[in-house]
Amino acid sequence: MPENLPEVEAEKFTGLDRKYLTILYIRILIAFLFLTGGLVTVILLAGDNFPKNFIFLIAGAIVLVIAFSAVIITLGFPRKGYLVREKDVSFQRGLITYRVTSVPLNRIQHVEVNQGVLAKILKLSSVNIYTAGGTSSDLSIPGLAENDAQKLKAFFSGKISDHE
Amino acid sequence: MIMSSIDLTKPTRQSPRGLILIFLFSAQKFIRAFWPILLVLVFQNEIFRNNRTILIAVLIFLILLIIHSILYYLNFYFYLEGDEFILKKGYLRKQTLSIPFDRIQSVNTKQNLIQQLLNVVTLEIDTAGTAARELKIHALNIFISNELQEQLQPVKKHSQSNDKEQTQKSETVKEELLLQLTPLDLLRIGISQNHIRAGLIIIAFGLQIFNQVQDVFQEQAEEYSSEFIEFMSQSNAALLTFMVIFFLLVSVFFSLLRTVLKYFDFKLLKKEETYRIESGLLNKRNVLIPHQKVQQLNWETGPLKKLFGIYHLVFKQAVSGQNRQQQQQLVDAPGCLAEHLKKLKQDLFGEDKLIESSRIYSDFFYFRRLWLLYGWIPVLLAAPFFYSEWIFWGGAVIWLLSSAGYSYLIIKKSYFRMNKQQVRISKGAISHKWEQMELHKIQAVEFKQSIFQKRRKLASLELMNASGIITIPYINEKVAISIYNYLLYHTEISKKSWM
Repeated sequence: MPENLPEVEAEKFTGLDRKYLTILYIRILIAFLFLTGGLVTVILLAGDNFPKNFIFLIAGAIVLVIAFSAVIITLGFPRKGYLVREKDVSFQRGLITYRVTSVPLNRIQHVEVNQGVLAKILKLSSVNIYTAGGTSSDLSIPGLAENDAQKLKAFFSGKISDHE
Repeated sequence: MIMSSIDLTKPTRQSPRGLILIFLFSAQKFIRAFWPILLVLVFQNEIFRNNRTILIAVLIFLILLIIHSILYYLNFYFYLEGDEFILKKGYLRKQTLSIPFDRIQSVNTKQNLIQQLLNVVTLEIDTAGTAARELKIHALNIFISNELQEQLQPVKKHSQSNDKEQTQKSETVKEELLLQLTPLDLLRIGISQNHIRAGLIIIAFGLQIFNQVQDVFQEQAEEYSSEFIEFMSQSNAALLTFMVIFFLLVSVFFSLLRTVLKYFDFKLLKKEETYRIESGLLNKRNVLIPHQKVQQLNWETGPLKKLFGIYHLVFKQAVSGQNRQQQQQLVDAPGCLAEHLKKLKQDLFGEDKLIESSRIYSDFFYFRRLWLLYGWIPVLLAAPFFYSEWIFWGGAVIWLLSSAGYSYLIIKKSYFRMNKQQVRISKGAISHKWEQMELHKIQAVEFKQSIFQKRRKLASLELMNASGIITIPYINEKVAISIYNYLLYHTEISKKSWM
């Protein structure tokens, strides 16, 4: 193999916008509300038929899962980041299982900028990069400032017209 | 030069015989959409009693359907224009679909029983775009279909620019038969299928029927089932063996049936740089596979298959947008011999140079991970519920030992070979599978490392192409990183077409 190939180094990645962390927290909050809401409805509907121990068990499980994901998200956030090089784009994430995915720019089929409701309020966008065929090799970079996302999209689109 | 008598640049309709097919399709669609209303109509005695009303209703319905079929038929046509395939359809809402030739991934035909009787085919044109639009022509004359398949064949466009002499030469190239399966071959293939899977399906199916029967005849069934349990508890080893053999026979029978239906008169042909597969009894398929569109070649053999010396082979092509019906994209040859496999590999990958690179095995830690997953975790999860029963502990020991054996089989087969152009991985537990691809077909690479792997300086790699993912599990971290960087470099400088 050729020597001195350029490396994808974890330190060079750009972190995501801090505001994206807020979105992640709000998502957990929503999940929490849904779960507790569901539990409360079940208890109200079932009345006394529902064993007390079971309620505590489920409530405990919910709290545990929510707390765990909050911790993971907080600690894992600095791990999330993207790196655009001359000929490829990479995204890294994951605290327990660390993953880096790279897509060579000459394999990109099209690019999209997406913005959810929460992201719109916080002026964030995500860039979705699509390759050919199935969805396995598509890449999504969330939590970018709106103008950064547009800049990235313009850059990738330019590269697509280069190789087509 | 003799050109075909069919001019595809002129708008062409489906075969007139297709009218029957359109009629049947629409009738089926209508009944599917309105069956609750139809049921009500049939069971409402007051309306039913008046025979004339019913007759008139059915007549009106039939006439409307016939008019719809005719209008649909008349307004459905297609033609080639420039380098696009254009299809127009619809009479109330007109629709025009146009597909540039270079977006076409594959052109295949299918034929069900009715179509075989009418001598027409369904032609499917697949584009691997993200917003894949389904393009199917259901009642096409076979001659037109063959001509279309020939014209739209993705490789064709490269030779278009060539001079006349070249095209003339390629016209005369005969199709070469690479592989044909005789009924005897089908028998062997059917027998060497995975019967455990077929057996499980039959058992599940049987249970479902049993449940339904139980719902209907609850009391009798309870009686029977208690008898059955009694019968089982008294039965001896001979009877159990008999039952096992019975189940095996049934599943062998079903595997055979499935094999014959799907692979009847299987032919793999080659013309220039394209394979063609023909097979099927009730549903015939005719699939073209240009070499360059093969993203990955998979082949496998199992203990029984090995005995017969046969391999199951799959050409993996790009999966279109919403990976719907992935099965369809997988084009397979169920049974070929080592020599066939060798020839196909030679065609697709050239001379096998990978054999010169050494095997790199997954780390032994992978075994521990697998054993934990298949062995210890199920046992530990079950333990709180059954710990008081001695039989559980006996079973747990057997389970742990057999899962260790299973994991050992996996790690013995988990290796890969790689050179500058290609990669071939080996995997499997009881059956042995191989996957091979050319490195420039890569679309993305992923490096994965859990905290447990990090401590041992290990990592896994995923190489993604347009048809799926090839995984290399638990290899040395440094090796993984250097492969990762090389693959990116190789893909980025590659000028070859990957789709």
